[in-house]
Amino acid sequence: MKSILIGGMGNVLLGDDALGPYVVHLLETQFTFEDGVQLEDLGTPALDLTHRIAGQHAVILVDCISTEAHPPGTVLEYDKTELLSVIPTQRLDPHSPAVSECLLAAEMLGNIPENVLLIGAVGERFDPGEPLSEAVLGAIDKIIGAVLGELWRLGVKVERKTSSSANATEWWAERLCVTTA
Amino acid sequence: MAKRITIDPITRIEGHLRIDVEVDNNVVSDAWASCTMWRGIEKILRGRDPRDAWLFTQRFCGVCTTVHAMASVRSVEDALKLEVPLNAQYIRNLILIAHALHDHIVHFYQLSALDWVDVLQIPKADPAAASRLAESLSPWTRNSKNELKAAQDRVKAVAASGQLGIFANGYWGHPAMKLSPEVNLLAFTHYVQALEYQRKALQVVGILGSKTPHIQNLTVGGVANAIDLDSQSALGMDKLEMIRSLLAEVVEFVQQVYFVDVCAVAAMYPDWFKIGSGVKNYLAVPDLPLDSRATEFDLPGGYIRNADLAGVKGFNTAADPVFRQSVTEDVVHAYYQGEKPLHPWNGETEPAFTGWQAEQKYSWVKAPRFNGEPMQVGPLAQVLIGYSQGHPLTKKYTNMAIEKVAAIGGVQATPAALHSTLGRHAARAIRACMLAELAQKHWQLLVDNISKGDYSVYNAPVLPSHEVQGVGTHEAPRGTLSHWVVIKDEKIKNYQAVVPSTWNASPRDQAGAHGPYEASLLHTPLARPEEPLEVLRTVHSFDPCMACACHAFDPAGRKIATAKIL
Repeated sequence: MKSILIGGMGNVLLGDDALGPYVVHLLETQFTFEDGVQLEDLGTPALDLTHRIAGQHAVILVDCISTEAHPPGTVLEYDKTELLSVIPTQRLDPHSPAVSECLLAAEMLGNIPENVLLIGAVGERFDPGEPLSEAVLGAIDKIIGAVLGELWRLGVKVERKTSSSANATEWWAERLCVTTA
Repeated sequence: MAKRITIDPITRIEGHLRIDVEVDNNVVSDAWASCTMWRGIEKILRGRDPRDAWLFTQRFCGVCTTVHAMASVRSVEDALKLEVPLNAQYIRNLILIAHALHDHIVHFYQLSALDWVDVLQIPKADPAAASRLAESLSPWTRNSKNELKAAQDRVKAVAASGQLGIFANGYWGHPAMKLSPEVNLLAFTHYVQALEYQRKALQVVGILGSKTPHIQNLTVGGVANAIDLDSQSALGMDKLEMIRSLLAEVVEFVQQVYFVDVCAVAAMYPDWFKIGSGVKNYLAVPDLPLDSRATEFDLPGGYIRNADLAGVKGFNTAADPVFRQSVTEDVVHAYYQGEKPLHPWNGETEPAFTGWQAEQKYSWVKAPRFNGEPMQVGPLAQVLIGYSQGHPLTKKYTNMAIEKVAAIGGVQATPAALHSTLGRHAARAIRACMLAELAQKHWQLLVDNISKGDYSVYNAPVLPSHEVQGVGTHEAPRGTLSHWVVIKDEKIKNYQAVVPSTWNASPRDQAGAHGPYEASLLHTPLARPEEPLEVLRTVHSFDPCMACACHAFDPAGRKIATAKIL
């Protein structure tokens, strides 16, 4: 049994940054995965990401992308070599250690996953309380396709659920507490 | 001629700390701390059910999710005058302690140790000599020659690759680096081990909280952990035993490694007991309640003005009347509308961005003030306030630290030397030792209480229709955190979070008084202004943390420090 992490990264309260957690939620409700595959809403981890990824056979991260080189909604993929080539900068606060630095730490410790892929879409807005933008919503099917494609490449069995018992909602847009009499 | 240096590490799209210092003849003559992104997340909470608030507030931040959840449920409980069952207090306390131990270990090793440790000296070290040195300092069993050599080989492998990988961001070979190759190797070995032990602390949070980040077991009025000693799916003896053994390992690491390493660094950089003091007003709130009404605590709180330790004033409750009345936020130098300082219950968050202007507005962080004065918060504040009040546990570990530093380096430190960059590191290690001891105490309190047959974990909240106000406090790893809520018609009318880093990273106020980061940098000598390692040492000693909760991946790495002649 190969251990594989599919992690959604981002802040659900900040517009398009909710993309990662939302995609993971969609995958959970629409598919069943073979044993060993873990899906997780990772939030906005800093160095804690190191021990979520270290020692896994493969890691697929879904995240929103910040770049001016492509329009919002463009789906981009970064493989292990590309992620490791981002040179870490001097950091002032504990949030600064980002994906690349956690991978470099795992590499130094000798337990970096064999396969690492970051899949995401370029974000349009990161305003508090805003839903996902049309551009990013339009990219979700393609992102899910890319995640499934990577799982297929890794030889992982995935089945579409015939009836989805739970609807994938954005919980952060709901009223959660139900008053009991 | 004065030079201005900007340290602005753009690793994410937004929401990080920026420091500007003016340097005259290689000494810092002025400083500005600013946060580069407005969040205004509190606005999302207006109109929501106050019982839901904690699930949203723990998404403010990706590092301290737990602390914002805790302060939020406490604020609503305070507004509703709701007591919390003993089991719930102990379970919450264990989560808070485990999270803080994790956070303090990571802060020292992963986030600031390499300001003092020169990685490129490590290949020159003799592992056998380093091992002998380690044995003279601590009974820790993982200081063997072989373990040290394995760590040295990791550094050699990274250095041999020609690229520095994880170490590409340091000021190696800087003249302010003073440790011998052996001490550098020892500290680095513990840097690697720290990754293992901080994870064990997080596992405790995960077991009790069901998940981390973003614990799931809180509820206004208690916790949602079902207690059943015979059930594997509830909180039973097997899970409690797992927590006990994880905590035992973390406690050992904190007391035999982290505490000793901080004392050793302090002994070898004694000048740094004289650098980096800044604002000497201190504030801490009491935490780790011992009864359901939260009237007794294991960590003391209070405040100190102008370094007057003898004049310390204590707080009796988590939301002491003096604390409730004395907090305001000033926005004269922050990018918000408004003139007068406002109390958080009346707080406004209307943006007025102008761009960075040294004499005008320059930060998204408001300037919180206590009776109109800036306050330093964090472990140093808590240790000084506890020590001055004669709190036995604080005195025990503070005195131990003073003795250890003297034994290693012959440096006679006093509690007054704690007003410094090193003092903040020492205080954090002292606090970690206190928390390590308290972790075991609160585990025992929980087990004893359950053994009496008390399985209660929750008191149901009743939301009144009239307007009520509450404040929830928590002495978080970075200091005093307070959430302020106004509830009307069963909905949130106003919500403000005054976070530790707002106190410490605050900009100047209407009187022109510097915030703690800014004040601490004044008069710091810099060996090489273009490589401002000394500025990083002092800023890192606060354990800075902006409300940086956005996580878009930025594929471009960027430069960090720029210098220009004024």
